Amino acid sequence: MDFIDYYKVLGLDKKAGAKDIKTAYRKLARKYHPDLNPDDAEAERKFKQVNEAHEVLSDPEKRKKYDQYGKDWQHAEEFEKARQTRGKSGGYGEYTYSTGPGHEFSDFFESMFGGGFSGRSAGRSRGFRGQDLNATLEIGLKEVYRTHKRTLALDGKNIRITIPAGIEDGQTIRIKGYGGPGVNGGPKGDLYITFRIHNDTEFRREGAQLYKTVELPLTRAVLGGEVEVATLDGKVRLTVKPLTQNNTKVRLKGKGFPVYKQEGSFGDLVVTYQVRLPEKLTDQQRKLFEQLSETKL
Amino acid sequence: MTEEQYILIRDFCAGHSLEEHFLFQLRDYELIRIVEVGDQPAVPREELGRLERMVRLYRDLEMGPENLQVVEHLLMRMERLQEEIRELRRRLGRWE
Repeated sequence: MDFIDYYKVLGLDKKAGAKDIKTAYRKLARKYHPDLNPDDAEAERKFKQVNEAHEVLSDPEKRKKYDQYGKDWQHAEEFEKARQTRGKSGGYGEYTYSTGPGHEFSDFFESMFGGGFSGRSAGRSRGFRGQDLNATLEIGLKEVYRTHKRTLALDGKNIRITIPAGIEDGQTIRIKGYGGPGVNGGPKGDLYITFRIHNDTEFRREGAQLYKTVELPLTRAVLGGEVEVATLDGKVRLTVKPLTQNNTKVRLKGKGFPVYKQEGSFGDLVVTYQVRLPEKLTDQQRKLFEQLSETKL
Repeated sequence: MTEEQYILIRDFCAGHSLEEHFLFQLRDYELIRIVEVGDQPAVPREELGRLERMVRLYRDLEMGPENLQVVEHLLMRMERLQEEIRELRRRLGRWE
């Protein structure tokens, strides 16, 4: 059966005045504020403790009750009656801080002062927003070619998020209300997901533009013809003009990557032709090249 | 080009019960960007997370813009270092 020493939480003794309480609270609130301690569950727990201690000790009426019955709260009939009136179940367990929604203050606090803060003065009725959480999601480039949904497991909970097509490597999206729980009935924090996109394709990406090198056999570059090129949207056949030079670039409009948050809008795919010279020749090919050579080509 | 989205300062301040003057102070300290959208001052949506954090710190800890400037600077440094640690861990994982 744990008693929570609110004076100890704030580092004060029982003679502390209102000014001391305020000073100690401000100092510790600055130290443990969730926004100044991102992803630190221990800081968030301490922030809640500090907040709760301040809530009791800065209110003369609550402080009086706490000082009078604090350690022997289980014998204080008044509190027991009030507790029963609120319809809570009996039995005394250990007093712990819980981080789940609706458990922003310790059971100890709720037993003594009731759940919620209906009795607080208006000036102190504002809740604290929960801390923001950060997560990193590794994903392949092909997967962000289309908008899709994905379920993430975070702190034992499953969160279904939509991953928009065209999201960039390093880009962060905010999922409102999926961060840490608020304090004093404040709203939940947000979840920030940063995407780490690894390139699992043969394309080079620059925003919505894609780049790819395609090898052309020497004869096709010289005589012209067709070549099949794989895009992220399927294969396309391109006409190769006769006498196509090495490093010739062809722009395929709309065959690039989707533009982020612009449905139906795509960048271009730039194909660079790389003429492949033969590494081996048959006797017949050699003779033909020799004949070509005689033409001063 | 990605189209930038904006939130009107009037709407933001109404939603957070804030004086618009506070946001202009943040702008003067180069903590946020304010742009004109159809003759109305607005903030880019991408800055919303940071702006809301500053509003919480302003209210919870009574931090003025000059203190927020220091805090934001240090938080950004911290985020960069954390990102670097994540990246190094990721690289290290490849060799383990």
